Amino acid sequence: MLLVLSEDHKEHLSFLPKVDSAVVGEFGRIALEFLRRGTSPKIYEGAARKLSVPVETVQHGVEGLMFLMTESSKHMISEVDFLDSVLVLGFGEELNQILLQLYLQHHAQIRSILSQLPSNLPAYHNLEWRLDVQLASRPLRQQVVPMVTMRLLLVGGGAGGHSSRVLQTDPSSLLHLISTLEAALATMKSSHARRIFRNIK
Amino acid sequence: MEIRRVCCVHIENKGCVLLATCRGASSCRRVFVLPDQPELKHVDQILLKQSHTAATTFILEAVKHNADRSAISSCLEELAFSAERIEIFYSTHQKHKKELERLLASIGRCPPRINDASWRLQYHVKNDQVDKVNEPFYLISLNTENEGSEEDINFTCTVEQLQDLVGKLKDAAKSVEKASQM
Repeated sequence: MLLVLSEDHKEHLSFLPKVDSAVVGEFGRIALEFLRRGTSPKIYEGAARKLSVPVETVQHGVEGLMFLMTESSKHMISEVDFLDSVLVLGFGEELNQILLQLYLQHHAQIRSILSQLPSNLPAYHNLEWRLDVQLASRPLRQQVVPMVTMRLLLVGGGAGGHSSRVLQTDPSSLLHLISTLEAALATMKSSHARRIFRNIK
Repeated sequence: MEIRRVCCVHIENKGCVLLATCRGASSCRRVFVLPDQPELKHVDQILLKQSHTAATTFILEAVKHNADRSAISSCLEELAFSAERIEIFYSTHQKHKKELERLLASIGRCPPRINDASWRLQYHVKNDQVDKVNEPFYLISLNTENEGSEEDINFTCTVEQLQDLVGKLKDAAKSVEKASQM
């Protein structure tokens, strides 16, 4: 599939052919660093001073490059499609090749960064457990109650970072839990599931 | 075991108070209810209340420490209970003991208990940030209970993570089995 670039986007990227390929390479590196760590205005100002152009132009150029890379990685477009999409911008052959190389080298990384964005439900991280026997409590002495205490570690879910929950269960509930979750795993191997996985590509 | 001597001497004469107290302790968790048999109407109400409280304390302490027949008998003998009354007390105590034990065991704080788990298998096709994800994943919901109030813990996991979780739960179950055979 081809990328359709908006007029604003094309205008922002039109800054790129006016500078050397070394500078374009540098902009590419900055764009990727920003995708990884977040933007930093100082770098824009530094580059603008060196090239004697307004800060805004540099910023648009880098942001345009970032957007081009993220859109291409998002849709996993092939080499040929990428080149065809970039052709529309009317850049020289050399510039096109630089952009292509940038895309090919980093698209896997960009995709993994993007996939970390939409996590709105907490995700499983780890489960620690131990077996306890309750012998007594304040209201009642001389008990023998086996129980399994667990710590469920979750990641994400709006709160960001790790959250942990301490939970308990008795041996019969534990067995019930195991059989329920094993049934869940078994559905992965059912013919219905396999058919869906095969056919949605 | 604490026993209020004075009050128990008065209980001695009113055996029916004891029976009512035993039944009362097991059925009313937090409400203090005086026995209201007609035979007790002529008794001084304050004394009745004190006797009732003393008897309740005695019964609960006996259950709490799992007192055996000899311990209870010797305590009651010190208070000049007749053998017949001790027998009445002990048989009533035995009848309600299990229920009282269950009641006492349920008092107290503990981490939320997992009762059940529900799950959903879904296939992630795409989202607004990434296209062509094409990955199956599970949505697990653990139904937990803590002192009457329920809470659901929801989380997602991949197939490998669910296998890891089930593996760990199975290890826990195996260790329970081994411990029970020792």
